[in-house]
Amino acid sequence: MKLLRGFLWLLGFQLLGHAIVELLTLPVSHVMAGLLLLLAWLLAKRRLNESVATASQALIPLLAMLIMPGVVGVFFVIDEFAGQWTAIMAALGVGTFLSVLTTLWLMRRFMPQEAAGAEERERKP
Amino acid sequence: MSDLHASLLNTPILAIALTLAAYLGGIYLFERMGRPSWCPAVLIGAVITAASLWLLRYEYVDYQRNVAWLTLLLGPATVALAVPLYQQRQHIFALWKPILCCVPLAAVLAALYAVLIAWLLGAPPLVLASLAPKSVTAPLAMGIMEQIGGSLSLMLGGLLITGVLTTIFVSLLARLLKITDKRILGFALGVNGHAIGIVRAFELGPTAGAFASLGMSLTGVFTALLLPLVWRLLV
Repeated sequence: MKLLRGFLWLLGFQLLGHAIVELLTLPVSHVMAGLLLLLAWLLAKRRLNESVATASQALIPLLAMLIMPGVVGVFFVIDEFAGQWTAIMAALGVGTFLSVLTTLWLMRRFMPQEAAGAEERERKP
Repeated sequence: MSDLHASLLNTPILAIALTLAAYLGGIYLFERMGRPSWCPAVLIGAVITAASLWLLRYEYVDYQRNVAWLTLLLGPATVALAVPLYQQRQHIFALWKPILCCVPLAAVLAALYAVLIAWLLGAPPLVLASLAPKSVTAPLAMGIMEQIGGSLSLMLGGLLITGVLTTIFVSLLARLLKITDKRILGFALGVNGHAIGIVRAFELGPTAGAFASLGMSLTGVFTALLLPLVWRLLV
């Protein structure tokens, strides 16, 4: 019953997110609002409700399976985006290369050294 | 016979059974192939599903309508992501300074580079909107898509390609830039490569894995809050 109780909690937060987003016409998805509300509630209570933990452990591993039907659609839109694929592939390839490069550079710049990072420190400018 | 065919295609049960079978088949093949990071299990599952739809003469729109009974679970499963985020709060509080410097900038640039390149190459707004959330974990990216429009299938395809490319580029650039800090590598994998990056990060070790999850969650939340707002102002 822990699973069901936790599932009901999650549905409750999703509905609460839905209501708040609609009432305030916020530019976030209902689900995202539900996630943030649940996070805020957990941080405020400083304790993880056992049933919520059980339900989340059961559901999170299913996420990949749940998005798969959407991924299947990519095989059916190949014609729809004919002529766009060079731009799409260039954006994904070059864009990802640049963003990985930037992230690594930023992190190296701002991340405090690890305890065992003495040798690493000399190499830094 | 054709009546039976039509009524089977009309029940959500077949669509759901097909999806579960294809996904489990995808995982099985993924394990048999030695868990290749260039070919995630969900991609193999998607290929199996697409092939089955073609064999069954099942229209994709009909499949999508029927399988919605299953994918309805995406909502509560996404809300559940608050739990791992809550469990990582110690990491966040301990490293708030580098996180504050890196996450917003890295998340904005991940979207901006791709949108800018596609825009320069003349892609229409529909494609730009589909590429913008490319580094966000799929369930949150689907929420962004609801807000800014775009093609769901193209977005998810782009997400997969981004994830795979991230694992390749992180290994390559780590060698070139001589970065060995597992925290940095894990974080870069999560920020850019969402769930696929996390899988690769856990191969590097638990520290890299934890930082990848952290990077993915923060990038996802930050982008999901900011991107629809910016989009609304620009378009």
